[in-house]
Amino acid sequence: MKKKLTAMLLAGLMTVGILAGCGNSGGGSTGNTGSSGGGDTASSGGNAGGATSVTNDYELVTVDGSSHQYKKYKDMTTEPITLTYFHFDQDEIVQYLAKRFMQIYPNITVNVQYENVATYNTTLSTLVSNNQAPDLIMHSDCDYALSNMLLADISSYFNTDEETKNLADTITAAGLGTYSLEGGMRYSVPVKFFPGVIFIDRNVLETLNLKVPTQQWKWEDMIQLIKDATVLNSPDGMAYYGLGYYNRLDSYYGIAARQDIIGEFGFNGKVFDLSEWAVGEQEFSNLKLGGYIAPSTETQAMEDWCGDWEGWAGNTGHAAIFSEAFWTFQNTWNTPAYKEAYNLDIVPYVIPAVSEADAGADHHSIATIDYGGVTTSCKYQREAYELLKFMAFGVDGWYTRCEAYADESIVNALGTALKYDVMPVPITKDEGVWDEYIKVFCAGMDDEHTGLWRDYFASCMQPISFGWTSIAGYWNFCDEYFNKIGIHDLVDNGTAQAADYVEEANRKANYYHAQAMLDYFGPSAYNVLSESEIAEYEKMKTDNQ
Amino acid sequence: MAETKKQTRAEKKALKERMKHLRSGKLEKRYARTGFIFMIPWFIGAAVFLAYPLGSSFWYALNNIRITPLGRIFNFVGHGNFTQILIQDPDFMVYLVDYLTSTIISVPIIVVFALLIAMMLNMKIKGKGFFRLIFFLPVIIVSGPILGMLNSQGAGSVSAIDTAALSGAIGSVLPEIIAKPISDVFSNMITTLWYSGVQILIFLSGLQKIDKSMYEAAKIDGGSGWECFWKITLPNLRSMILLNTIYTVVFISNNSENPIIGLIKDSMFSGTKEKGYGYASAMAWLYSVVVLILVGLFALLLMTRKDQYEKQVKRAMKARKRETRNKKRIERRNRRNARRIEQQRAKGRITSHTTKRDDY
Repeated sequence: MKKKLTAMLLAGLMTVGILAGCGNSGGGSTGNTGSSGGGDTASSGGNAGGATSVTNDYELVTVDGSSHQYKKYKDMTTEPITLTYFHFDQDEIVQYLAKRFMQIYPNITVNVQYENVATYNTTLSTLVSNNQAPDLIMHSDCDYALSNMLLADISSYFNTDEETKNLADTITAAGLGTYSLEGGMRYSVPVKFFPGVIFIDRNVLETLNLKVPTQQWKWEDMIQLIKDATVLNSPDGMAYYGLGYYNRLDSYYGIAARQDIIGEFGFNGKVFDLSEWAVGEQEFSNLKLGGYIAPSTETQAMEDWCGDWEGWAGNTGHAAIFSEAFWTFQNTWNTPAYKEAYNLDIVPYVIPAVSEADAGADHHSIATIDYGGVTTSCKYQREAYELLKFMAFGVDGWYTRCEAYADESIVNALGTALKYDVMPVPITKDEGVWDEYIKVFCAGMDDEHTGLWRDYFASCMQPISFGWTSIAGYWNFCDEYFNKIGIHDLVDNGTAQAADYVEEANRKANYYHAQAMLDYFGPSAYNVLSESEIAEYEKMKTDNQ
Repeated sequence: MAETKKQTRAEKKALKERMKHLRSGKLEKRYARTGFIFMIPWFIGAAVFLAYPLGSSFWYALNNIRITPLGRIFNFVGHGNFTQILIQDPDFMVYLVDYLTSTIISVPIIVVFALLIAMMLNMKIKGKGFFRLIFFLPVIIVSGPILGMLNSQGAGSVSAIDTAALSGAIGSVLPEIIAKPISDVFSNMITTLWYSGVQILIFLSGLQKIDKSMYEAAKIDGGSGWECFWKITLPNLRSMILLNTIYTVVFISNNSENPIIGLIKDSMFSGTKEKGYGYASAMAWLYSVVVLILVGLFALLLMTRKDQYEKQVKRAMKARKRETRNKKRIERRNRRNARRIEQQRAKGRITSHTTKRDDY
């Protein structure tokens, strides 16, 4: 009898054990509204009775540990709430900002969740499918965010917020985060901004007796300088190259070519025209084939050049111009160890415009921008917007960031001061923020270099983001056509001309864009397209089928 | 005689009928109930973790799905996902062909290697346990991301093997489609061998089950080690070889290093609207059908067949039976003919010398 009871008990326990894993963990803010037939649209998560716009009515408060006076908005809830921010930013700085936000709004608990960018989308999808969608998210690939209807329309807050009037012009003018919708709906705001930059090693130019350009240089000046700075038979036995590249120049050229282009591949807000891109692509390819570009790391050519298979053009002192990312300066060239080890004089230049008229004024240049938004299931949208602003472009948030960057005792997991990790650039034009930022950025630099950086920063505030972050259907186009064919490789190795692809690529790009606009914003999803927009995109899709 | 037989048959039938209506005893019922109770966890587990996900994934495969924070949105597309994969997704077919060729090549290598190592580990050597641990260690340590990291650092290939030269040599002899997977096996030799930990254990258990007296008898009869391997070891390990082959196919097919698994995962979380959970489910179903076919082919190839000796014995037994049957038939006929002759002779119709040859 005893044995039998034990056996029964064990069997029961096994059954319970199996079922234990099947429970709904809850925690999600909404239920599952699974539907079939394609006609149903998920509705908004609601605003839990909160404000539907920003009243700009605030009081100034100070918090422990800072002398800065923070704006505490009066239309924010006073109820104790929790907001979850899911991000792939530098976690230490986000934690710092979250703590400060909670000091300003003690009733709001900010739960920060970091995920590596490589597994970010996967983890976010898992959270969403488990009804554990965060309240705020960052995103890089907009197709992913829009196709899964992750982002809520925050235009009512963004458009009424005074601070947004002082952002870089292209945020509104080029519709970054609004996806060219006629209704003006805004789903995303820039969170991390890294302007496009061309770095020049002045020591190399001096060695080669070449003239240092001005900030008003033109595209052809840059190409000429690359050619002039390439000396394969140099007296010191090691060849000099004009360009050490990380970013391809075709992306740069495609934006610098004309001011009506507001996206990669000649996107003007409605359609693509890759003819300008093709010129840049071909030019870059010709530079490569002509031997003006320094060897890439981990190649035989690199080993032959500098005797190190894993060498990098950026520290050879034998490359003049670099199309490196913005953050390379602070996290590599400007680090104390690097300055000590290598004799480099790296200075920033704005990406040159193609026409003389554009070069003389502020002009569009490509930039790395990661976006963020409030999720559709968020119940406290007003508060979530305020947190998003604090994390992304808000003046108060940026004062807090500068404070953290200036304190070199605050380090990341590797023990590096946050300033030398991945420090973005303010996208606000607020002068106070910029003064603070330049103070932190240029700490330890002489007046001349500080002046050069000031000039550069003044000229880089017309950013246009990379296509996948701001154009619906862009990634689908790249996935299904551009990268699948391998156009870059074909042109680079001289087997094809970039211009040969323009016509077909235009059709494909326009088709995927039209399809994405209908899929994401049409009746089966957000349902925010007007009749005329639907007709227009339907036509574009049919014409380019 | 025939009547008795009929009776027996009728009795048997009646007994069967009675048995049908017989109710099982209390003890038997209790045993059955206990058995069912013990099976409940499995039934629930299979229903919740096998049947339901299988059904769901098939339903997903027929839909285009969006996972939004406000819930899942299904759009029924029928066989659209399958058509798209087969017609418009070149990656899938390329990966599938690569998978098939590399699996067909690497499975025999892994199984043979595991058998050799198991035989060595079964020998009388010092530190046997330690060596067994060494060969099983990769199973515990080298899994998922760690394997990926090691491979990316070149730890998956033997540095002493000039894989580039080998690939060139193979490529010059064989067509590209066959040469590539073969060169891949050589360039990932260490990884391939790491995959054989479990198989070694299975073979070890099989080897330890073989009766030692068989080897002794073979040795007394003058059998060499080589002959013992082919005539005793290998036939006794046949079922283990099948088990290991199927295990290896399933392991390779589900391994995170398998590019098709990566492709399915990428499709699942792809930003491309046509893809997503539905598309990935359709891809997974297509892939699982291919894996099942592959497993079936290997099983057909290696399924335990009856032993040759048994076959010969059976054949001889059959021939003997046939002979006995013929002998009996002849005897019966002789008896019948003898009776007939006796009867006719009694009637005075024939004399002994008139017997016809045809009567026989």
